[in-house]
Amino acid sequence: MKLAPQSIPYRALQKVAGIVVVLFFVVNDTGWGFPAAAGAGLAVLLVAGAYEVAYYRRFEYALTEDTLDIRSGVISRREREIPYRRIQNVDVSRSVIQRAIGVAAVDLETAGGSSTEGSIRFVTPEEATRLQREVQRRKSAGSAAEGGDTDADATGPIEEELFAISPRELALVGALSFDGRLIGLLAFAGSGSVPVVSGYLPDVSTLALSAVAVAAVGALFLVSWAIGAAVSFSNYYGFRLARAGDELRYERGLFRRYSGSIPTEKVQTLTVSDNPAKRALGYATLSIETAGYAPGQGGEYGSEAAIPIARSGRVYELAREIEPFGEPSFSRPPRRIRWRYAFRYVLLLAVLVGVAFAADWYLPTEIPWYAPAALLLAVPPAAHLKWKHRGYWLGEDHLLTRNGFWSRSVRVVPYYRIQNVIDSRSVFQRRWNVATVVADTAGTSSLTGSDAAAVDFDVEEAEDLQTSLGDRLQAALRDRRGGSASFEWLDGGAGVSAEDDGTLDAAVDAAATDADANAGASDGDADPDALDADVNPDISDEGVVRPDRSSGRDYSTPAERVDTGSYAVDRFPSDADVAYRPEDTEGSADAPDDGEGDGTAEDGEGAAEDGGTEPAGSDAPDGTDDGGDPDDPDGIDDGPTR
Amino acid sequence: MTTQRLHPRVRIVWVLRAVLAAAILTAPAAGAHHLGYVPEWVPVVAGATLLVLGVVHALLRYRRWSYEIREDALYLDRGVITQVRTTVPLVRIQHVDSRRGPVERVVGLASCVVYTAGSRGADVRIPGLTPDGASDLREELKRLAIRADGEDAV
Repeated sequence: MKLAPQSIPYRALQKVAGIVVVLFFVVNDTGWGFPAAAGAGLAVLLVAGAYEVAYYRRFEYALTEDTLDIRSGVISRREREIPYRRIQNVDVSRSVIQRAIGVAAVDLETAGGSSTEGSIRFVTPEEATRLQREVQRRKSAGSAAEGGDTDADATGPIEEELFAISPRELALVGALSFDGRLIGLLAFAGSGSVPVVSGYLPDVSTLALSAVAVAAVGALFLVSWAIGAAVSFSNYYGFRLARAGDELRYERGLFRRYSGSIPTEKVQTLTVSDNPAKRALGYATLSIETAGYAPGQGGEYGSEAAIPIARSGRVYELAREIEPFGEPSFSRPPRRIRWRYAFRYVLLLAVLVGVAFAADWYLPTEIPWYAPAALLLAVPPAAHLKWKHRGYWLGEDHLLTRNGFWSRSVRVVPYYRIQNVIDSRSVFQRRWNVATVVADTAGTSSLTGSDAAAVDFDVEEAEDLQTSLGDRLQAALRDRRGGSASFEWLDGGAGVSAEDDGTLDAAVDAAATDADANAGASDGDADPDALDADVNPDISDEGVVRPDRSSGRDYSTPAERVDTGSYAVDRFPSDADVAYRPEDTEGSADAPDDGEGDGTAEDGEGAAEDGGTEPAGSDAPDGTDDGGDPDDPDGIDDGPTR
Repeated sequence: MTTQRLHPRVRIVWVLRAVLAAAILTAPAAGAHHLGYVPEWVPVVAGATLLVLGVVHALLRYRRWSYEIREDALYLDRGVITQVRTTVPLVRIQHVDSRRGPVERVVGLASCVVYTAGSRGADVRIPGLTPDGASDLREELKRLAIRADGEDAV
C-alpha cells in the first residue's frame, strides 16, 4: 500500500520550508535581486519535491500474514518486516496542519532499539485507523492460534470506554501541573542578566533588592505554572481511554491529536503517582509502561499514554482492570531507618548552613547564615514521612512498591515481567544493616532511576524478597506456559530425567540441586515457598512439557522437512506452537496417547538423520535426547554435520 | 554449580586500570606544578593517594566478586562501596557474549557478558575468566537459557 498523495507536498515543505525562507532572504540581500532569490527558493523546493515524489513512489507497506512489511528509501533502500507479535504500540498523531490536509503519522514500536521501528509518514486518517485496528486483529489472531481467546473477529472487538476526562479533571490537571524545567531555563537565562542589571542599580538598598528578587522568583513560579498548565491542558484535552479486546486505546490532544493502542499483554509496569496536593484532593495519576516506550521517555507519545488525573479510587479500579493485583497492604521498612533519614537531613542542613556561613564571610553584607538551622524542626516529621511512604507488598501475581512523599509512586510489577532482581547495599545502608531490592523490567523509564524498588529493608528481609521474587517469576512462567498453550506437565520428577540422559545435563542438574540445597542450608531461613516450588513433584526438573494433543494437530505423520544445509536453525524456538518433550521417559509411557507420541518421536529422529530439520514439536529437547550422542556438549544433535 | 570466584589474574587488569586512572587524574596536578602554580608535593601526594585507593579498591573488588549458576538463575555478588547482588533468571537471558579486551588479552583472560531485556541490569559482565572458561560459560548459559525456554520476554 502507498502513502497518501497529499503527503508529498507536505513532506517537502516540512523539510525545506525553513531553508527556502533563509535562502530567499540571503540571496535577496546579496544584490542579485528578487527574481534570483525566488528562483533559488523555487529550485530548492523543486529538488525537495522531486525527492519526495521518489520517496512516495518507493515507499510501500503491506500487511502480510504475520508481518508488517515496509519497503522504503530513495538512495539506500530498506525492507523491514515487523512481526505482529512483536509490536508493542501503534500510535497515530495529527498536528493541526496535518488535520487540515487530512493526513496522519503512524508509528509502530517494538521492544528493540531506542528509536521508533516503523514510521509511516503520512497516510490518510482512515488508513491510519485501519492500520491500527488491522495490526491488533492480526496480532490477536496470531495468539488465538496458539490457544488464546478468540474474541477478535473481522469486525474487531467492541470498544468499551474506561475513562474520559471531565472538564473539571482537565482543569485540575492544568492547575496541578508545574513545569519545573522552565524554572531552570529561566533562572539560567536570568542569572546572566544579573551583573548587567546590577550595574544600573548601584544605590538601591539591600531590602529593595531582595524584595525585587522575591518578586522575580514569584513571577518565575507563576509563569512556569501557567506554561505547565497550558501545556498539559492542550496535551490532555479530550483524553479518553478505552479497552477493545486485549488492547487499550487512548486519544488526546487539543492542537495535535494523538491516538494509540497499547496491548495489555505487553504492559510491563503500572505506576500510580500522586503528590501531597493530589492526595489532599483525592486524586492520582496512572501511567502504563510497555517495553516499546515508557512514560516520560517516549517523547511525544508515551508520556501521556495513561490517565492524567482521576479520583484515586477510580485510578486503582482502572489499574486493577489492567493488572488485577488485589488490595495491597504495604510492609514498611524497619522503624529505626527513620534515624537514617533524620541524619541525612541534618547533614544536608549542616551543609546548607556551611554554605550560608561561607557566603556571609565572603560578602560584605551581613546575612543571617544560621537561618537554615530553623529547618531542624522539620527534620523529624520529614524523616517520619519518608519512612511512612515507603513499602512493598507481594501480591498473588504482582509486586507493589511505594516510594516518595512529594511525588509518591506506587509501582505494580507483575512477577511475570521481572527481568532481573538486584539487591544493592551502599556503605551507609550497610551501617544500618539494610538493603534495597530492585525488580527490573523491560520498561524504559528505569533509565531515569524510577524502578520498582523496595528501599531500606532489613538485610534478611531483602534476601528473602530477592529469592521469593525469583521463585514467583519461575512459578508465573510455569503458569503462563501451562495456561496459554494448554500444556500439561510431565509426571515424574528430576530422578526420571536424570536417569535416562546420563549426559552432561544430569551432572549439571545434580550440581544445581546440590548448590541449591547448600544455599538453602546456609541461609537457614530460606522461604519455605521457594523450597516447595523447587521440589514440586508435578513439574519435571527439566522444565519439559508435553503437548496437549487435543489441539487436533495430526502427529502421526512426520512434520515437513526443511533442508537448511549445515546452517543451524533455532530448533527450539520460544514461540513454537508445541513445546518439546523427552522421549522414553516414564512420564510419556503413562500418557494416554503414548503410541502416537512415540511414533512421532521416531519420525522426528529419522528426519534429523536425513539432515533435515523439522519444526520443533516432534523433536526431542536438547540434552534429553536418547543418548544417540552422549558426548555432544550442547546436547543439540547437529544431524546435518554428521 | 558452587560459587565461582574470578581468576586471580584479573587483579592485574584492575590494578593496571587503577594505575591508569590515577595517572590521568594526577596529570592536571602535575601540569599545575610544571607551570609553577603548586609546590612539588601536591602532584606526588595526589598521585600516591589515588594510586593507593585505586589499588585497594581493585583488590577488594576481587575479594568480593563471585558468581554462581543456580538451578534457574545466574547469581552475581559484587561491589566494594555499594554491594550489589544480582539475580538473572535464565529464562530472561537474551544473548551471551564472550569478549576479550586488549588488556585482558595481554594477561590471557576473557570475560562473558550476559544480556537481558531489562533496563537497568540490561547487561551483566563477568570478568576474569580464562578464554576457555569464558566460552564454556557462554555455551553453558546458552544451553541453560534454551532449556529454560522463556516465552516472549517482553
